[in-house]
Amino acid sequence: MEYHPLITFFVEQGVPIQTVLLLLMLPVIATLVAFFRQVIGIKAFGIYTPSIITFALLAFDPNGVKYGIAIFVGVIVVGMIVRFALKRFRLLYLPRVAITLSIISLAILIILVIGGMYQRTGLAAVSIFPLLIMITLAEKFVATQIEKGSHIAFILAAETLLISVIGYYLISWNALTTLILRFPWIILFTFLINFSLGKWTGLRVTEYFRFRKIARYL
Amino acid sequence: MFDFFKKSQGLLGMNARNLDYIRPSNRKRGMEIADSKLLCKRTLKKNNLGVPALIAKIENHEELEKFDFSTLPNSFALKPNRGFGGEGILVVYGRKKSTAPQSSPLNAHSSPSATPLPATKTTPSDSTNTPEKPIGENETNPFSENWVKADGSIVTVDDLKNHIRNILDGSFSLSNIPDIAFFEERLKLLKLFKPYAYKGIPDIRVIIYNRIPIMAMLRLPTKHSDGKANLQQGAIGVGIDLATGTTTTAILGKGHIIEYVPNTRLILSGIKIPYWKDVLRMAIDAQAISHLGFLGADIAIDRERGPVILELNARPGLSIQLANFSGLKSRLNRVKGLQVKTTERGMRVGMNLFGGEIEEEIEELSGKRVIGTIEKVKLIGKDGKEIEVEAKIDTGADSTAIDTELAKELGFAETLRIFDEKVAGRDIMQELTKAERELLFSSVPDLADTTSVQSSHGASYRPVVHIELVMDTLSIPARVSVIDRAHLEYPVIVGRKNLRKFLIDVNK
Repeated sequence: MEYHPLITFFVEQGVPIQTVLLLLMLPVIATLVAFFRQVIGIKAFGIYTPSIITFALLAFDPNGVKYGIAIFVGVIVVGMIVRFALKRFRLLYLPRVAITLSIISLAILIILVIGGMYQRTGLAAVSIFPLLIMITLAEKFVATQIEKGSHIAFILAAETLLISVIGYYLISWNALTTLILRFPWIILFTFLINFSLGKWTGLRVTEYFRFRKIARYL
Repeated sequence: MFDFFKKSQGLLGMNARNLDYIRPSNRKRGMEIADSKLLCKRTLKKNNLGVPALIAKIENHEELEKFDFSTLPNSFALKPNRGFGGEGILVVYGRKKSTAPQSSPLNAHSSPSATPLPATKTTPSDSTNTPEKPIGENETNPFSENWVKADGSIVTVDDLKNHIRNILDGSFSLSNIPDIAFFEERLKLLKLFKPYAYKGIPDIRVIIYNRIPIMAMLRLPTKHSDGKANLQQGAIGVGIDLATGTTTTAILGKGHIIEYVPNTRLILSGIKIPYWKDVLRMAIDAQAISHLGFLGADIAIDRERGPVILELNARPGLSIQLANFSGLKSRLNRVKGLQVKTTERGMRVGMNLFGGEIEEEIEELSGKRVIGTIEKVKLIGKDGKEIEVEAKIDTGADSTAIDTELAKELGFAETLRIFDEKVAGRDIMQELTKAERELLFSSVPDLADTTSVQSSHGASYRPVVHIELVMDTLSIPARVSVIDRAHLEYPVIVGRKNLRKFLIDVNK
């Protein structure tokens, strides 16, 4: 593959090509999340969580989506169960999250071991960091549960997963990676897109849906 | 489909709300007032607006340990200072003694503000039918300090302490910032609302922008919303006609259109809200005090005290549009840029512009528009110059007159100057014949005609110019006389000749 001279220069200075690519992809992912929020109306857990989960999915490659979704769902399900189990003890916030995180990490460990027993070592072979990222997702989830209730927390988690999966397919799309490595300047377009998103005052797609029942009375 | 998108343009979405209204209008100080219920309460009270009375507040764990729960009245609401969406609010309706028979009055700890309640009753009914015992016989054992919630469940001191700890730790505040807990007087339900509301107190959300009430809805707690008047939690939202304070359309929860209170035959439209003008006035005043340009004021009506402000919202939700079957954006656009100096004026403008469900029916029948005695009118002058002003609609006047300054702004400065030159202070009507007058003024540019007007101030000879009047979206070509109206309240008076397509409602 032919790189842009600038990319070649970066690589010559010792920056791994994978790092260069991921750093250049971050604006794309961030823009994607912003687009989903402002135009579609899908909220997810802010901008940090979906972006970082996207990269976590990428780190699970070659079976990124399959394992990633499994771990994600595992974290959410265990998080929910632990919340209900701990409810009656009426614990303060941080200790409660600490317990939740501990139980989730144990659960993940068990999943890895079981995976190993069934010769699915692909999962256990991935680096620890994407796993940790997934586990810390639980804090976001628990906090949302407390603030906005389980129902909304669940929806936001599903939305986060949706955006992350779309983001994953976007950054593992060969045409896009080639394009960015050949013409890294196109990243600057995301500024343009974000500026227009930042000034966008139209209704979101979800809002059209929300107000559909009264539209005929307007 | 295309029509649907076009119609939806009148709706206010999150993006537009944040960018066009909250960001430019709501300054930091206002946001602080809206975010802290205690600060809000203090500020409003200082300005003589009614708020629920504060009983006590607990700022930290140390204060919680020292707090004497026996000083609490029989009924109160426990709230987090920075809670949102009605979360973390605990309301008790009466005290319950563990040993006492259920029907005995529970006077032992009643403070002057609280009414004694039979423990079994969940609604604040009077206790006159239960025999009153001497207070001495009713001393409560300090170890059995229990209260009763709306659903009849018991709340112990330990429950309260735990709830307060959760509040202090920020369980109910945004991003878990440590918070303050406070006890507040429990409001008493208005008899009128009793059949409609499930357990909690209904409140009225009024959106105020630019000192003008824009939209309002009545929020009724339901069984599903657990007695909370919050649409997200499943309460009922009922739209209100601003002109009359009468309810119109209704939704349940996030957007299910309903006509009756679920499982009853109680129709939701046509409820006349008491103290309606006071509610609007309070909301407008609250906006002026809080400096929130775009505000959602939550006002409840107490059986004894009348309207009180519960809360101010710097980021009011958009569901109010669903309840009213109407878009906020189109309404906001109609009042943008209006200069409103007094509360009364703002209230009148809001009532005029955003009331009239019933009128629309009249309009359909008669083919005429119903307008009030004061209307926003757009004047289109020479070369398409546009000015928007408030005009007096006067069926006693024959024709329309506008102020000299306004005419100048509309591009008739030159016309007026030459006209004055030609008149040169003479009493034209007396001195010249019709033919002479026509000749004299024929060379004045853009002059449509001249006219002699008899008004309550005497006769005057005026130039007449051609402009376009736009009232209630209807455009009318008009010949208007120009006169100095600087000393009058409204710069424009619209007379009969230009009112043929309208019906005038003096109540508007």
